[in-house]
Amino acid sequence: MSGAEITLVVIAAVALAGFLLWRIAQRLDRLHQRELSSRATLDAQLVRRAEAAAALAESGILDAASALIVGDAAWRAAVEARRLVGDDTGDPASTDDARGQAESELTQALRAALGGAQDQAHLAAEPGGEELLERLAQANYRVQLARRFHNDAVVQIIGMRDTTLVRTFHLAGRAKLPQTFEMDDALTVQVGSARP
Amino acid sequence: MRIGLVCPYSFDAPGGVQFHIRDLAGKFLELGHEVSVLAPADEDTPVPDYLVSVGGALPVRYNGSVARLSFGPVVAAKTRSWLTGGNFDVVHIHEPLAPSVGLIALMQSEAPVVATFHSAQLRSRAMQLGYPLARPGLERISARIAVSEDARRTIVEHMGGDAVVIPNGVYTQVFATAEPADRWRGTPQAPTIAFLGRLDEPRKGLAVLAAAAPAILDAHPGARFLIAGKGDMSEARELLGDRAGALEELGPITDEEKASMLAATDLYVAPQLGGESFGIVLVEAMSAGASVVASDLPAFRRVLDDGGSGFLFTTGDPDSLASTVIGALADPAEMQRRRAYARTAVGRFDWDRVAARILDVYAMVTEHETAEPRSLLGRLFRRGEER
Repeated sequence: MSGAEITLVVIAAVALAGFLLWRIAQRLDRLHQRELSSRATLDAQLVRRAEAAAALAESGILDAASALIVGDAAWRAAVEARRLVGDDTGDPASTDDARGQAESELTQALRAALGGAQDQAHLAAEPGGEELLERLAQANYRVQLARRFHNDAVVQIIGMRDTTLVRTFHLAGRAKLPQTFEMDDALTVQVGSARP
Repeated sequence: MRIGLVCPYSFDAPGGVQFHIRDLAGKFLELGHEVSVLAPADEDTPVPDYLVSVGGALPVRYNGSVARLSFGPVVAAKTRSWLTGGNFDVVHIHEPLAPSVGLIALMQSEAPVVATFHSAQLRSRAMQLGYPLARPGLERISARIAVSEDARRTIVEHMGGDAVVIPNGVYTQVFATAEPADRWRGTPQAPTIAFLGRLDEPRKGLAVLAAAAPAILDAHPGARFLIAGKGDMSEARELLGDRAGALEELGPITDEEKASMLAATDLYVAPQLGGESFGIVLVEAMSAGASVVASDLPAFRRVLDDGGSGFLFTTGDPDSLASTVIGALADPAEMQRRRAYARTAVGRFDWDRVAARILDVYAMVTEHETAEPRSLLGRLFRRGEER
């Protein structure tokens, strides 16, 4: 092989390697985009859930103590806790932890306030109760969905960024390594025909 | 909402996935959404208006069995024009890893992608390469749906990440309001026991029922076994010898006949040996008001609420099946109680509920779509200019 041929082969090999690395970077980028949008969706859904909880607290169908506790937890989750998007002041990890804590407390307050299936049947029988419970059930289900989809993207990013190729060639650029959003979202609200 | 559904399997020979997509599309249209379905179908196959065909499918040996799949440049071009022309808010791809039109749509879609995994057994090479680096395309799926807990476990184990479980839908009202056919109605002296499924496919378990039949006939000499489905049942007849007259061969039956049979029969038996990820017929039987006796496969346990909505026996064991059937027939009050529970428990499989949950998933992936998903290259250069 002449010098020119060797050079050509080397150039071709470098180009191919570059192309493959580019493809990986592109996929990683797409994942990061997805993570950003799923995070925004999660934030919006959490706020919607807190609003549904606040509406329930204001409606007067809960007992006075429950209403106060749920209302307070909803206020802390929706207004006082840090936003998951558009707030660059703090360390994202601590933001997530604090928000997750506030949201878990709201879930726990709701669980205690709503009680079991029998108690919920009584709440639903109150005027407007049915709608409020349905709204809360849907909001909570959507939070579960949004959180799962978000964490799914995060897990894929972490898995991909953990590979030697990605680390060696800095294919993730300056994108921050995301972390999964952890909270207690297990809430059973009986709706419609499922109610005894 | 403009919804694009993609089906990898041909409508020439409809199966579970195709029926699911057909019903889902119907429900979305009823709710006022715009729906288009992209699927393989031969020119002479009658298809609904909303279906766009990518052309016929080819039988291909893939992953150990022959499947009818669509691929190639023509399919890719048709998929592209369907995606562009449809301008969808969300593209929902079923079985996205099957090397067919779904995978092509996945790689081309600019809209957010939702994927539904139907199968619980994806031990294919494709799944072993489920690692994100080796498996391009997976990162394009914004939301994964599994039709059962078993399908979900497959995803978790083979692909990493997670999926939400949304069961297959059933038009439970169609079965709940079906007119019971008198010829299939049982009496205390001659109870009817129904089976539904391919007769010569061992997995469907007709042999288990046939082996249990003698013991059941000993206890209930008048019992009638209604055997519906395609295939040859001479083997089952041989198992019963001179009592084979108790087996009534119905052959392949229409959807209406199925509903009226399930509404009329005393017991519906599902003796499947495995490979079931969901068990839609169980839900249909429960909606129609038949008492269900099923093998204790994980998928069936879940559908039957661990026996709350029916009776479970040890998978593949004719003795267990016989004693379960005899025990059930001996206690009509208990049968009635479980049937009543089953009628309310099937609510979670009703299309109204299922479609609403799928729309929730769509809302989650479309709400905050990145404003302008410019390419990585575009953004890199743009960043350079801004600096």
